[in-house]
Amino acid sequence: MWRAEVDGLRLRFHLAGINDQNFLMRDEETGSYWQQITGAAVSGPLAGRRLTLVASDELTFATWKAEEPRGTVLRELPADTSLYAAKDWDVKMLKAPIVIAYPESGLAPRELMVGLHGFGASRAFRYDALLKEKLIEDHLGSEPVLLVLGQDGHSVRAFRRRIPGAGAATDFYRVLVGQSASPAALLMDSATGSEWNFQGCGVAGKSSGVCLDRVESIKDYWFDWRHFNPATTVYRAKRN
Amino acid sequence: MKITTPGRRFLLYVVLCLLASFALLVYPVYVIRPFRAQGVRELGVALAVTRYRAPFMVALAAASLAALFWYWRREGRWLRRTASAAAALAVAAMGLASRVNIYELMFHPLGPPAFVAAGQSKLDGDEMVIAIHVGPAARAYPIRNISYYHIVNDLVDGVPIVATY
Repeated sequence: MWRAEVDGLRLRFHLAGINDQNFLMRDEETGSYWQQITGAAVSGPLAGRRLTLVASDELTFATWKAEEPRGTVLRELPADTSLYAAKDWDVKMLKAPIVIAYPESGLAPRELMVGLHGFGASRAFRYDALLKEKLIEDHLGSEPVLLVLGQDGHSVRAFRRRIPGAGAATDFYRVLVGQSASPAALLMDSATGSEWNFQGCGVAGKSSGVCLDRVESIKDYWFDWRHFNPATTVYRAKRN
Repeated sequence: MKITTPGRRFLLYVVLCLLASFALLVYPVYVIRPFRAQGVRELGVALAVTRYRAPFMVALAAASLAALFWYWRREGRWLRRTASAAAALAVAAMGLASRVNIYELMFHPLGPPAFVAAGQSKLDGDEMVIAIHVGPAARAYPIRNISYYHIVNDLVDGVPIVATY
């Protein structure tokens, strides 16, 4: 998700090619070609420029609607309805051909990952590991971060593990259903004992009203994430 | 069939034009095709060819048609005239074909996007959406829809964005 603007010039994009199984966009205004996953112009008058990232989430509709009841949803076009992906499109995609692989990683090319990029580092987490652990505390570069699975069991968000204004990093725990002061609570921190919702905002306790800093995350296939983030490291699930 | 001197000259010209047009048309398609790993250098060359080939294609088509005109003034037999016209027109046709980006033909971009209120959407609760928040505006793009268009050019609270999947 990118801001479609460079130096005040609005850009309108078309899908215009493919590079290493990630698509290329062409802007109408300058004819430059852009890599979808990096937002970098790879050819044309704007080569070398980068689009600005727009923070986005991949959520279930139910979770999003609960958070944004006044939001708007892209409307289906009746003429295109039969062309939209089937509900099990992600299962079918697992069988799609692959031409890029990193077998030394021990990960399947189409292993679904949650990728984080920031603080001078890239780090990838197996989505399956997150489904199992539900809350992962880790570091992105030297920055303490946490990834948390939403109550819907599908949505994921990542945050810095520092309570704004408190300074030092803290640990977070998942709260058990029915054992929290707020029905929206998903996490509790060890520094203040406050409860936090899936949006990363304090909903009960000393940190009520405070929100953690978001870390942009993207769901991507391993081969694609690794290819365009060659310095990435991979989180290995803790063995109990 | 004996090939005359004008015929040889025309053949030489038109074959060169055909080869050059074919190379300019096909090389980017060959490099930028799905399920193939693209090298950085070949991708750069293929995109440069795509961007700069138009005037060359026009020049090649013009050269072919000029050669055809020259040949027709020296050749009266209609079978040869027809064959030569077909060759020259093939060069022009490749020039026209080079104006078409196969990807832009295959993947229809969504026009100005339309939206419905969250409460009026018929989406199932477990459908995955890409969600953004710009200023006071919140938008959701259902993945099953956006994965067909791949690109949605949108304006959210006055901010131009491109939603991709």
